[in-house]
Amino acid sequence: MSSSIPSVPALRLDGVRKVYGTGENAIVAVDHASLSVGGGEIVALLGPSGSGKTTLLSIAGGLLAATEGSVVVGAEDITGHSPRELTEFRRSKVGFVFQSVNLVPFLTAEENLLVVAELAGERGSARKAARARAKDLLAELGLSHRTSNLPSQLSGGERQRVAIGRALFNSPALVLFDEPTSALDTKIGEQVMELIQAEMRSRGTAAVIVTHDTRMTHYADRTVQIIDGVLADGVPGDGVPATADDHH
Amino acid sequence: MFLALTEMRRAKVRFGLLAGAVGLLVLLILFQQALLTGLVNQFIGALKNQSADVLVYNAQARKNLEGSIILDQQATAIAAVDGVAVAAPLGEGTFTVVAGDEEQDAVLFGYVLGGPGEPTTLIEGRLPEGAREAVASSRNADDGFDIGDTVLIVANPGGTETVFTVVGLAEEINYSVAPTLFVDFAGYETARRAVNPDATLVLPSVIAVRVTDGADPAEVAAAITAGVDGTEALTRQQAVDGSPGVASVRQSFSLILLLFYLVVPLVTGLFFLIITFQKAGALTLLRAIGSPAGPLVRSLLIQVVIVVLSGAALATVLFWIATLFGGGSLGITVEPVPVVATTLAVLVLALLTSLAAVRRVLRIDPIAATTGGGVQV
Amino acid sequence: MNLALTELRRQPSRFAVATVVLTFLSLLLLLLGGLLDGLYLGSTGAIRAQRADVIAYSESARDSFLRSRVTADMRETVEGVDGVTEVGGLGFTLLGATVPGEADLADVAVAGYELAPSGVPDPPPAGRAWADDTLQDAGVSIGDTLLVGPAATPIVVDGWVEDTNYLQQGALWVTLGTWREVQNANRPDAFVADGVVQVLIVRGDGDLAAAVDEATGSTSSLTRDQAVNALPGVKAQSSTFNVIIYSTLAVVLAVVGLFFSLLTLERTGLYGVLKAIGASTRRLFAGVVLQAVAVAVLAFAIGGFLAWLADRALPGEVPLQLTVGRYVFTFVALIVAAVLGSAISLRRVTRIDPASAIGSAA
Repeated sequence: MSSSIPSVPALRLDGVRKVYGTGENAIVAVDHASLSVGGGEIVALLGPSGSGKTTLLSIAGGLLAATEGSVVVGAEDITGHSPRELTEFRRSKVGFVFQSVNLVPFLTAEENLLVVAELAGERGSARKAARARAKDLLAELGLSHRTSNLPSQLSGGERQRVAIGRALFNSPALVLFDEPTSALDTKIGEQVMELIQAEMRSRGTAAVIVTHDTRMTHYADRTVQIIDGVLADGVPGDGVPATADDHH
Repeated sequence: MFLALTEMRRAKVRFGLLAGAVGLLVLLILFQQALLTGLVNQFIGALKNQSADVLVYNAQARKNLEGSIILDQQATAIAAVDGVAVAAPLGEGTFTVVAGDEEQDAVLFGYVLGGPGEPTTLIEGRLPEGAREAVASSRNADDGFDIGDTVLIVANPGGTETVFTVVGLAEEINYSVAPTLFVDFAGYETARRAVNPDATLVLPSVIAVRVTDGADPAEVAAAITAGVDGTEALTRQQAVDGSPGVASVRQSFSLILLLFYLVVPLVTGLFFLIITFQKAGALTLLRAIGSPAGPLVRSLLIQVVIVVLSGAALATVLFWIATLFGGGSLGITVEPVPVVATTLAVLVLALLTSLAAVRRVLRIDPIAATTGGGVQV
Repeated sequence: MNLALTELRRQPSRFAVATVVLTFLSLLLLLLGGLLDGLYLGSTGAIRAQRADVIAYSESARDSFLRSRVTADMRETVEGVDGVTEVGGLGFTLLGATVPGEADLADVAVAGYELAPSGVPDPPPAGRAWADDTLQDAGVSIGDTLLVGPAATPIVVDGWVEDTNYLQQGALWVTLGTWREVQNANRPDAFVADGVVQVLIVRGDGDLAAAVDEATGSTSSLTRDQAVNALPGVKAQSSTFNVIIYSTLAVVLAVVGLFFSLLTLERTGLYGVLKAIGASTRRLFAGVVLQAVAVAVLAFAIGGFLAWLADRALPGEVPLQLTVGRYVFTFVALIVAAVLGSAISLRRVTRIDPASAIGSAA
């Protein structure tokens, strides 16, 4: 655990607001949200649908620009980044696991991981090293016998594991999960959550897991609730409780 | 109707591109068909629109007017064949002329006044009555061949210059894509001598024959070919079809036109098949909430019709604009019948290929909406 | 592993439609081009082969071989012009010839010459000819005696030459004397006296065309290339066919644009995900272009093969000639049209929002 060592937070959101539309028709999706996620910490973001949790996740991952407030991931302030800079940021600093798995349907499990290397433009020996890394990662995820299978040939749980592998492939400091288990049945979902917890902890990678399922929150170190775009600290998980300077 | 239009409105680029592609293809088809007709007319209009039922060529000439010459003894023998009412000389030649203050190429046809070989499509003025009068093609009227204009045959050294006056205009009497004049055979002889002072004899290119009342031109032609040595007699249509320019032009264009006609329904058929596949989810939903298949199929067919008709409309407008610019020189005009016929043909073909998409729509099982067959919107 | 090419390999059926249509269009383009080239080459061979700096017609002929007459006097004047090194006569007669053992007549162009064109030896003895090898299709063999024209003038074939046809008719290269004999026996109304030819082939230095015309006062001289273009039908055919060819390329552009924009639409979700994990618009778009090019290349390969088959299957009268140059031109044009057509998808690819990967972002 890295909580007792002073370190750069993996994620720091300060007064983030996201407003759609203007004037009378303005919709506030996220309202003055502040959140700090420590290096290696797993935070569950809990809220009903329409609560703005997905918007917040998108802002944290550089998929969406905030209307107000600052977003700092690791040592990088992405608040004012141009779309091109954001693309570069997403390529190297952050990992995503989406709700509807979204693997590339015509690539094998191994190739779905290698896409990340391809996008980074790796060639030659770096490409070979990447292939070895992909095999290792898939083995860790219990998928060595599935490396050459297409997504259509994998079960729901296996696909989610490939997605996790892809998210971890470029060793980001932060991985963002959007409802990783909502498309899976309870047993498989628990297996996936265990895997997530194990992988994040073994690498010291921070994670924010958006979910509406309270049964899954105990896998996180801390749970933060969000309702109507506003964050409120909820019941702490098995990890470090929220401290005073984590919210205004 | 509403469904069809709404979808098209929402996806303007897609349907626009398709209509554009169809339009271009139809334009090319229209253009090439008109070119073919125009070219053929400009090649042999003169042969089509003259009064002889049968034209007797030299067998060696292989139906080529330019290469044909009929000797005196052959001419006499032709006149004696059963079924021949009148046999008269018809001469053809290309000359350098001055018309409209400009030196040009022109083709002269010399025929016996009042006899077979006379132009049959006079639209203005009158037929020649003397050796120095001519009927010109209405197409060339503006180039110095209008009624009242004089046409000078440029002579080679040693020859005397000959002048003709245009007294009438006829439609589609061009030959070999050049301005054409019909004159008295005597005038034709003079022109020939002007250009070839050394010429010993001016022989007709072919013999123009009018058959006796009730006789069948094809039979008379066959009789002449069989009975007169070294000749090949052709009916008017045979002469037109057999003309060297015409056959090869027709063959070349036919192949190309066939391919173009195939590409259009291929493109539309495949387009509609693809978008039907893409819409499968939405279509399944509609069926699940109770929409019968009929309106969906009708909507598809309406879209096909709209796309083809708008493409054809675009093509017609572009075609018309093109003829304004360069039509004259290529002899192309916008005629309603070919445009309508082509549009109908393309429409029928497109509807046929859209049957593949229709089949797909009909095969949709509404139950798929509940089994989560992937309603990816 | 290239994403775009891997998709092509793993999901070929997606691209089948565009490939089929483009194959048809490639075939069309090659056939159109082949017809244009066939008409051009078959009409102009005899003139293109001439090694001439200038070709002198009689002024009244308006650049037509058929109507031109150059007399011995005019020739003498031309020979005396400064800078002129060689002068030779040339004349053509178009006739039908009886081929031994064949029922059909062969279309021939009897060409009387003095100065040998490239690829043709010096004039053979009187009554004998070098024949263009396309006459083999008409059943002509070396040693055959052809009976030319209505007057059946005999000409013996001594050997073959290549690409020397005149106005689609097989050339028979003979001495001027033989040519005059043929012309006068078969076209008495176009009689050619001794010493008279249709045009002069002139070789030398300097601005010969102007010098020759000025000296004679009765000639109109053209360079060889100008003479080629002045042959009946050449310019009109070229411009007409080229209009049709370029329009067809525009259709290729529209079709590629159409089918690839449909493909892009299908892949909106996938592109959203790729953008989310860090793919730039440029990379995604480059993939689209690459696929369009790959499809075009495959379509050209198949279409090219079909065109070759068509060339062999079509009857001899259809003037189709598929040259290497035509294949190259069509290939390049097809690729360019495919690239431009795929560019139509650029806006859509650009507008795909990476946030869409994460579901509704509201």
